[in-house]
Amino acid sequence: MSNAKERKHAKKMRNQPTNVTLSSGFVADSGVKYHNGGRKPFQSQKEPHSGTSRQRQTKMSHHSLAESDAKEQSSSRVTFKKKGGWKAGPEGTSQEIPKYITASTFAQARAAEISAMLKAVAQKSSNSLVFQTLPRHMRRRAMSHNVKRLPRRLQEIAQKEAEKAVHQKKEHSKNKCHKARRCHINRMLEFNRRQKKNKWLETHIWHAKRFHMVKRWGYCLGERPTVKSHRACYRAMTSRCLLQDLSYYCCLELKGKEEEILKALSPMCSIDTGLTFAAVHCLSGKHQGSLMLYRANKYPREMLGPVTFIWKAERTPGDTSESRHLWIWLHPSLKQDILEEIKAVCQCVEPTKSTVCLPDPLLTPSQEKSRTDLPTEKIGKKRKWKDDEENAKPIKKVIGDGTRDPLQPYSWISPTTGIVISDLTMEMNRFRLIGPLSHSILTEALKAASVHTEGEDTEKTPHCWWIEACRNPDSVSLHHRQETIFELLGGITSPAEIPAGTILGLTVGDPRINLPQKRSKVLPNPEKCQDNEKVRQLLLEGVPVECSHSFLWNQDICKSVTENKIPDQIYRGARVGGLKETVVHSQYKRSPNVPGDFPDCPAGILFAEEQAKNLLEKYKRRPPAKRPNYVKLGTLAPFCCPWEQLTRDWESRVQAQDESSAASSPGGEESSLRRDVVPCAPMPGRTRQLSDDEGTPLNDSSEPKGVMDTDGPARPGTEGVVGQGATGSLLCVLRSRKLLRQLSAWCGPSSGNSRAAPRAPGTGQQELRREACLSILDRFPKALVWVRLSLLRKGSPEPHTMICVPAEEDLLQLSQDRLYCGPQEPKHSDPFKSQIRKQKEKKKLEKRQKRGCAASEGLAEGDPAAGQQPLTLGLWSGPLPVVTSHCSRVLLGFVTQGDFSMAVGCGEALGFVSLTGLLDMLSSQPGVERGLVLLRPPASLQYRFARIVIEV
Amino acid sequence: MVRFKHRYLLCEVVSDDPRCRLSLEDRVLGGLVRDTIARVHGTFGAAACSIGFAVRYLNAYTGIVLLRCRKEFYRLVWSALPFITYLENRGHHYPCFLNTLHVGGTIRTCQKFLIQYNRRQLLILLQNCTDEGEREAIQKSVTRSCLLEESSAGEELSDSGGEEAAEAME
Repeated sequence: MSNAKERKHAKKMRNQPTNVTLSSGFVADSGVKYHNGGRKPFQSQKEPHSGTSRQRQTKMSHHSLAESDAKEQSSSRVTFKKKGGWKAGPEGTSQEIPKYITASTFAQARAAEISAMLKAVAQKSSNSLVFQTLPRHMRRRAMSHNVKRLPRRLQEIAQKEAEKAVHQKKEHSKNKCHKARRCHINRMLEFNRRQKKNKWLETHIWHAKRFHMVKRWGYCLGERPTVKSHRACYRAMTSRCLLQDLSYYCCLELKGKEEEILKALSPMCSIDTGLTFAAVHCLSGKHQGSLMLYRANKYPREMLGPVTFIWKAERTPGDTSESRHLWIWLHPSLKQDILEEIKAVCQCVEPTKSTVCLPDPLLTPSQEKSRTDLPTEKIGKKRKWKDDEENAKPIKKVIGDGTRDPLQPYSWISPTTGIVISDLTMEMNRFRLIGPLSHSILTEALKAASVHTEGEDTEKTPHCWWIEACRNPDSVSLHHRQETIFELLGGITSPAEIPAGTILGLTVGDPRINLPQKRSKVLPNPEKCQDNEKVRQLLLEGVPVECSHSFLWNQDICKSVTENKIPDQIYRGARVGGLKETVVHSQYKRSPNVPGDFPDCPAGILFAEEQAKNLLEKYKRRPPAKRPNYVKLGTLAPFCCPWEQLTRDWESRVQAQDESSAASSPGGEESSLRRDVVPCAPMPGRTRQLSDDEGTPLNDSSEPKGVMDTDGPARPGTEGVVGQGATGSLLCVLRSRKLLRQLSAWCGPSSGNSRAAPRAPGTGQQELRREACLSILDRFPKALVWVRLSLLRKGSPEPHTMICVPAEEDLLQLSQDRLYCGPQEPKHSDPFKSQIRKQKEKKKLEKRQKRGCAASEGLAEGDPAAGQQPLTLGLWSGPLPVVTSHCSRVLLGFVTQGDFSMAVGCGEALGFVSLTGLLDMLSSQPGVERGLVLLRPPASLQYRFARIVIEV
Repeated sequence: MVRFKHRYLLCEVVSDDPRCRLSLEDRVLGGLVRDTIARVHGTFGAAACSIGFAVRYLNAYTGIVLLRCRKEFYRLVWSALPFITYLENRGHHYPCFLNTLHVGGTIRTCQKFLIQYNRRQLLILLQNCTDEGEREAIQKSVTRSCLLEESSAGEELSDSGGEEAAEAME
């Protein structure tokens, strides 16, 4: 630091004249040196010039002034040398005192001084540019741009400065002129070069101008709009229309016999989690389905990720021999795992010969590649349409996605089953429209293609496939039917009126043709909203099967595509969102977001690691005093959620409780069967009362055992093996619908016996009992449950907020005082502070030593790095202690997304809790307050009450 | 602007004793001025002037001294200067006095004044000179200084450009 300061000072003073003294040598000399110490190196650079001139001058005087005193000459020479920064002066000779001074030396000294002063005056002292040193009244506009605007005396200097700046800029300038760079071919080349690593979507340029772009999953994606638009996007979502480009989603195509495909894929999914690929309404091709994929026969562990799928509509229903197409849509981060697994289960090992020779994107930018394009619109709560666009556009060739190199095969065939898997990533575009006005916008923006008649000249259109299709009367009639249905859509006020996941195929004309002149907002047309017979029928039955057939699907090669779709819908008043809006949307839908909210799938783990790394970096950038000390706040893991440790701790905790309760109660083996599970040993009175409360309904409901039994066989046969074999290895997320439904019933507050008793037999729900818990825990050890938490009063949760079990006294206080916001966490002590201080002192010591002997520098440098990584103030270092009981309230889980919810008007959070812990907590809580938890953000000591709701 | 404002006193040390010039050093001179202020203005004066006081430039040959002090109290320093009557160094007393040439707000103005002053002095020296040889020498230095002045603008500029480039390299 001081070195830099010194250097700066030296730079400032380099032109100032130094002191000139007669005396050199002994004490005074050192003093002078000390004062000028900082400037020495700089002077030695430039002074030789002046120094030599001066010496020449003295030499001249030698010749001319033969009579002048030798002593004085020598002394004067020495001093001049000194001034020039030379230390070679013979010190012995200089000690003699000049007896008198002659006019000539005096004049020389004066002249030397003049030159020195001139030098100092002529040079600008500061390191600012010339026009910056001018007084304010002399400044003019654009002085830095035009030298002539400066006063003439400064123009020369300014010219030099300007040249220097220009030179610097020139170094990294483009080698082509602007016009050449803008020409189409070169632009495409440049674009292709830039998307070598991270692929661009087709709407990239449009997005890049308006969004903060991030590189993720091998794509360049818009994260959030550059304009402030959080609330605007929410409004668009709820009352107008939000558009998202989901083209980065990957599509896998499976071709083959229907039963073969179903047979191959069945081990990958479980009916426990919902419908599978064989769902009836999806199989016909009318609807889009969604499900969770697992590794084959590994359910409930080794989750691979959520996917959506579409079966291609069959032409002749009932014909099972027909070859079917299945499209599976998935998130790019999940693609590698799922593709591998599907290849494995289908035994597709042989890569088929790629039909298209893959062109190098760099060399053939103008080569056209035909692409199928099926922009899929997802509307509102998963309403879904499919339109086929037919506007053609020569497209720069980008095949496949960033995760695949161009020489790799993207299609595989199975020799035994005949299933063909092909990877259609980036082959199709997909958009999602969210909001009630999406239909109006769609119907406005897209017009069904006009049917070609024979008379028209067919040469100039590139869409020969469409002309072919128009020759067939069948397909023309089909097109007309689709068109009428599409027209009807405009009259539907909300997309929620149509069954979820409906598919409609449609061939539309180029939307750019009927682009409106001005940007406008689409309003739902009241005229269209007639409640006629047709609409009603559509609402009731959904789109007829035939209509979901699209012409495009049977075109092997067809001219394609969109590009200007977005502006086209923007012109109709849609707002475009980015990745952040996707997260927000999933939060309002209360569904887990891909891949952040899937801690049990590899992509989710990877995502969490990356996020933790980023957050840690961000944290370390702040000074220690300006960032929260998480150790003192009692937050063990502020950047990641240690799910593994959480579930393990809960397991051991419950075991310990069981043992202690078994030891305390007289009938040890009986206690497990009896109702009093309540683990709080120190409060026997309360447990007794609780068990009495719950005891009565237990006897009424006689079937819970039966339910569990029937539940068992329904699951895949390997369950038992999985339950035993995989225990202790991996955590899993509970996704069995039945169990989730049961849990969500338990989570709600039961307001006493009178209501609870009749409900139990009526709904067929089990009461919360020991055996039920045990049986669930048996099947899903180390499981997590996806929960929604809505705060009772104040507070807005954030990601990594801790979900804790409220203590008895908290609930008591809450029941007494409705306005009670929650307990406070006592401040923790920081055991690492002293360590850090010690480390710092050590480092300082080393530094001092280093300064002392430069030789040992290498050794000292290597030591601390190798010994231990430097501790960060405010973060827990080393292995975490028991996470559950670190704070005053027992930790139950973590929030993964949380924010103030504008839909509900209070804080809402989504997260995972440990199943073991949840059951333990629920069984210990009295009926009225059941399902209450405490939330505490990582950077706060305040707990807030929230209610747990389990989404099924 | 936000800065400490200074006053620079450009003085000339006049002494008959050539040994005085020998012992003319910035430390000695600074101490001398300080002592004198303390003597004349008391402890208050010494304290007021001690802040920011420095000898910025000193030339023993010509006897030019540049003193710096804060703007608020430069009068105290100024008024104390006539009371310096001798220069003390290593036990020797050399009688001398200080002649204030110029008071400026920046070093730069002082330097500019010094150039003018030196040029004037050289001319005076030339006029008063009687010795033929010396006259010649003085003439030379005068022309040199004049030449320097003319060429300085361009020369210095090219110099500075080179220096800055060198510094940028670092």
